[in-house]
Amino acid sequence: MRTVLRTDKLTKRFGSLIAVDGVDLEVREGEVFGYLGPNGAGKTTTLRLLCALIAPTSGSAEVAGFRLGRDDAKIRAAVGILTEQPGLYERQSAWDNLVFYATLYGLGRATAHAQAERFLRLMGLWERRAESVATFSRGMKQKMAIARSALHEPRILFLDEPTTGLDPDAAKTVREFIVALRGEGRTVFLCTHNLDEADRLCDRIAFFRHKVIRIDTPDDLRAELYGRATEFRLMPHPRPEDLARVKAVEGVRAAHLENGSIIVEAPDPKRTNPLLVRTLVEGGAEIAFVTERKPHLEEVYLRIVEGQE
Amino acid sequence: MSAVAIARQPERFDLVRAVCVREWKEALGNKLLVGMTLLPPVVILAAGIVAVGAAAVNPPSDRDVQALYAAAPAVQGLDPKEAIQGFIATYFLILFMLIPTVVPLTMAIYSVIGEKSARTLEPLLAAPVGVGELLFAKSLASTVPSVVVTWVAYAIYLFSVRALGSQAAVNAVTAPRWILAIVVMVPLLTLLSVNLGILISTRVNDVRVAQQIGGLVVVPVVGLGIAQVTGRVVLDNASFITFSLLLIAADLAVFLFARLAFQRENILVRWR
Repeated sequence: MRTVLRTDKLTKRFGSLIAVDGVDLEVREGEVFGYLGPNGAGKTTTLRLLCALIAPTSGSAEVAGFRLGRDDAKIRAAVGILTEQPGLYERQSAWDNLVFYATLYGLGRATAHAQAERFLRLMGLWERRAESVATFSRGMKQKMAIARSALHEPRILFLDEPTTGLDPDAAKTVREFIVALRGEGRTVFLCTHNLDEADRLCDRIAFFRHKVIRIDTPDDLRAELYGRATEFRLMPHPRPEDLARVKAVEGVRAAHLENGSIIVEAPDPKRTNPLLVRTLVEGGAEIAFVTERKPHLEEVYLRIVEGQE
Repeated sequence: MSAVAIARQPERFDLVRAVCVREWKEALGNKLLVGMTLLPPVVILAAGIVAVGAAAVNPPSDRDVQALYAAAPAVQGLDPKEAIQGFIATYFLILFMLIPTVVPLTMAIYSVIGEKSARTLEPLLAAPVGVGELLFAKSLASTVPSVVVTWVAYAIYLFSVRALGSQAAVNAVTAPRWILAIVVMVPLLTLLSVNLGILISTRVNDVRVAQQIGGLVVVPVVGLGIAQVTGRVVLDNASFITFSLLLIAADLAVFLFARLAFQRENILVRWR
């Protein structure tokens, strides 16, 4: 996959405060890239830098093939941004809001109308297109703001906390939209506090607090910190000899009993687990379930990000 | 699959038209703004028509005529009733010059402070538009209605003076320097007021505070009116040209200051 966003020691200072400190990132085309960090970590500042809204103090970046600082208008045309606040014109209709923005992005009248209709339908707001946005719920406004950010078919979509404050139904629509964007080959740069959402949606995740602490896939982040654990639930319960047999299997790093199961840690479970199943069955154990054990991303986040304090 | 972006920088005309139409729709949806915008011209126009009409009906007293001759020696020799009507008609034309200072100020202030408080500026600035073009479009969105309102008010006033007043009053209202004032100075005064409004709005967040500060723009116009009424200034052709040149210089200076204040990063990081 091609790189669609690359930064090199990107830095932004506000007086003595270093909001973004020498960030090096490489984001690939068509991936959902999670950007996770605590409040005040500089996530929004990073987004503003990458959308050519503010200028870096030092460092450089290439966004959608354009150089930051040299091709800023082209960058703004090639990306879309969902800001923390929906920022809609509340006295105006949903339709007028979208057509106005389509015009600002240089779309001709026919294309602007077609895109406004497409995104209003996609977000389930078509029937209410003529109503003023002030009458919309928080979730509907957020959907409108997402529609506005994607209206001009950006190559990279920067989403700042897209599901914050949304009910489960609206949040699901937004998540499905993100997945659909990935399906179209668009890149999504997702700033979020919602670790469960990041875990479900993101191909890779960067933990960030003023600087990038770690970048990897969610599974590899877990594996690196906790190894790859598998739970073997035995009927009626595991015997001491079952645990001994498991520990003796090649590739097993550790094993212990927990609530009627044997928890096994192994660096390469795809190779080790079939051996474990065979060993247990040959030893007379009855296996009810074999389940991959995933620590919550929250645990990983807390260990990595809070560990930086 | 490789995604394709369909956006580009908008044509300048499309941008200006889109911003103007949006701002006008927004303004029309705000009853308070519409009321505050239309009240001054309606009051000035109504007062002017009533005053000219009253002067046509009621003969002036000797004291009024003597006071008029003292204040405006140029009208000596005219029939007193004609002279009084001509003077009143001219006096209200000076008040007409207040319309372009008051009307656009409110719109311009709402145009920036409204966007600040609704947090609509960030998505707007994320679009591939130049901030100078955006500022120009916003200026125009406030300038055009104000100029149109002033011109319409002048046309109604002119029609009313022709219907109610004397030939001296009609001559006063259609004097070339006043035509010049309405055609040239009104847009210049409007631009000054709009850009001052925008400049002030970049620094404050409260519409009322901005209006109070912006209200100072009427002081020179009111001062000019008083100076003319008291005979300290004679508004001849030369003085109109001088004032027009001064206004052009002031317009350019204020627009440049507004342009300096209206920077993407300033707006996003410093404006609160």
